[in-house]
Amino acid sequence: MSASNHNDSSSAPEDSVSRREFLLRLGVTGALIAGSGIAARKLWQPQHFVPGFGKEKGLQLRSYAPEVSKVLPSLAIAHGTEHEKTIRAAMAALGGMGRFIQNGDVVMIKPNVAFDRPPALAATTHPDALRAVAKLCFEAGARKVVIADNPINSPTGCFLKSGLTAVASEMNLDLLYPETNSFAPLSLSGEILKEWTFFNTPFKHATKVIGLAPCKDHNLCHASMTTKNWYGLLGGRRNQFHQHIHSIVSDFALMMKPTLVILDGMNVLMSNGPTGGRLSDVKPMNTIVAGTDMIAVDAYGYSHLLERDIAELTYLHKANERGLGNINWKDTLYKEVQA
Amino acid sequence: MANEKKSGTGNRREFVRTRVPPAEYIASLVILGLLVVIGIAIAIKGRHFDPNLFAVRTDSLNSTIAPVVGKDQTAPSQAAAQPGGFNAAPAASSKPAAEKSTNLAEGSPEGGAEASTAPPKSAVKGEPLEIALAGIKPMSDTEFYDADNLFEKIDGRAPAYQGFNVQQLRCRSFSVLAAAGSFVDVYEYRFDSPVDAFGMFALERDPKGGSLGFAPDGYSGEMGYFFRQGAVYVQIIASDVKPETMALARAIAQNRAQELPADDRGLAGRRKLPAEGMIADSVTFVPENAQGQATLKEVFQAKYKFDGAELPFFIMVAAPDVAAQAWKSFQDFCGKFGTVKNLPAVNGGSIFSAQVFGKWKVVYQRDGELGGVFDAADETAAQTFVEKYLRGEIK
Repeated sequence: MSASNHNDSSSAPEDSVSRREFLLRLGVTGALIAGSGIAARKLWQPQHFVPGFGKEKGLQLRSYAPEVSKVLPSLAIAHGTEHEKTIRAAMAALGGMGRFIQNGDVVMIKPNVAFDRPPALAATTHPDALRAVAKLCFEAGARKVVIADNPINSPTGCFLKSGLTAVASEMNLDLLYPETNSFAPLSLSGEILKEWTFFNTPFKHATKVIGLAPCKDHNLCHASMTTKNWYGLLGGRRNQFHQHIHSIVSDFALMMKPTLVILDGMNVLMSNGPTGGRLSDVKPMNTIVAGTDMIAVDAYGYSHLLERDIAELTYLHKANERGLGNINWKDTLYKEVQA
Repeated sequence: MANEKKSGTGNRREFVRTRVPPAEYIASLVILGLLVVIGIAIAIKGRHFDPNLFAVRTDSLNSTIAPVVGKDQTAPSQAAAQPGGFNAAPAASSKPAAEKSTNLAEGSPEGGAEASTAPPKSAVKGEPLEIALAGIKPMSDTEFYDADNLFEKIDGRAPAYQGFNVQQLRCRSFSVLAAAGSFVDVYEYRFDSPVDAFGMFALERDPKGGSLGFAPDGYSGEMGYFFRQGAVYVQIIASDVKPETMALARAIAQNRAQELPADDRGLAGRRKLPAEGMIADSVTFVPENAQGQATLKEVFQAKYKFDGAELPFFIMVAAPDVAAQAWKSFQDFCGKFGTVKNLPAVNGGSIFSAQVFGKWKVVYQRDGELGGVFDAADETAAQTFVEKYLRGEIK
């Protein structure tokens, strides 16, 4: 046996590994393994996710809110009979649209287009209101105005019948319909809203965000105004939140920090909301409320436009208690004007 | 044993290094290099997750939804846009199978070969809303919703309809050819029963609406027509008040009243409510627990002007023994929370009067009919009204 071994080793001396070479190769292999480990550690992203692999972590919206002014009002109430004049008056009372929109801004306007109802029924943002706000944005120097909403019903039908498609075409606005790839997961530390799919595409390039909502009765949460308006940005089977409607609506004040919100109270859907269907449900109130605090704006809307007791609107109280807005609108710096 | 090439220590073979040709050596280095490049590329691309890249594209599944013989609820996808109409955007929630069945029946362009297949039997429930009238043109396919997905059409309004046992919503939009940009929406909510349909209709009733000659439970509004026909609550909503649009809205309403079958089952109580003194459009239907009483079901209520007072009056029609039991139960309840006294019977009707929480109730029972005045401020007016009703003096 030993003779045989000797013969084998001596027959291939050139293939044997010397001590030096062995150590060298060991060192190189060790260095490669260590390098791989360091590279993997460097590239590892704890927050990174791929759908289907591990827990999802979503995006967090940035704040679009303007700087707080101690001089200029944060709430304006304008009374008038024409949308454009009244909205101009409200914005002038706030210090002008130039306070909120600057040259080159990309403005995302979020109307409420939840239903395929004609404008006269006041279930959706009125086309005259959108036209006026878009015009003011362009006058202030906006480079682009985007409008988007995610109605549960057919988006094309809702935008068409509410008259907003025509305004978008006339004013050269970018109308973004929700598509399958328009959504991204959103993360929020809300009371109910934690992680949910969100209509994200309109916000990709937006530098300013304006909420433009009608003031209307709502069968489930009493009223749909500027805070409830953000509901239209959620995707998925969002009706499951109806069980906790006041919690979810108050979460929107946490989710969205808009540049400005405008409540259209020119014609208010007083009953049978949120869909309405009869002109008799609609009451002309000839008022526009604009402001930076959606809770204050809605508080005015509920008490003065829907003419109801603010004590019953739970979601405003929840948001107020969480410090997300001021339900006592009279305590804010406000201005009331006539258009 | 002599030929075995084993080391002297156990069965381990002697290490023999394989000679690697230079070409293979170079090839292996190239492969390793490529792997490193691929790894770096993956690392760079993976640093920023693009949700668009991983989004589920449901349209890619269209080819898998052809109808399966013997299996309901499968049908081709939604029809393509029709001239002058609009289509659902891609992100719109998937429509119920019934709608898809409708498209199939209509031979949708996307249906292709499948369109020639007979629609599944469930398509009966999803018959398209066709209206044979000149001057209108469908803007889109008929939409169908059931109680579970009604929110997809009317969102937060859906629970109100579910409270009255809605079964299905069938709706469609029609453009008005004589008025550019104008349209008329037709909504047909089908309920479990005519009583349920009436209940929802009454809840949304416009007190200022004008009466309709072609539908007793109906009214016209400034922009539409609303009525109950059988178990269906019909809403015809115009886009504007142009004469052409409103004329067609009325024609469509008349068409629907004619086409939908009449059925007034369960509405006997409604018919028994006296018309004299009734405040227009104050009629409501309470399916159960009327006035907090478990025994008061399917109750019709209305308000009446009587001797300068406004009196709420209710009627329930049931089997005589059920009505008698409910009357006794109501009397016992009033006795627990107030004072009760029996009044002399009038024309075969037993009557009691009660004061509960400061308000007066005068309740009668005659055969299978139970009714009376409730929440009245004036006992005398309430009693007089009930006695006159029982004598047939208020009709």
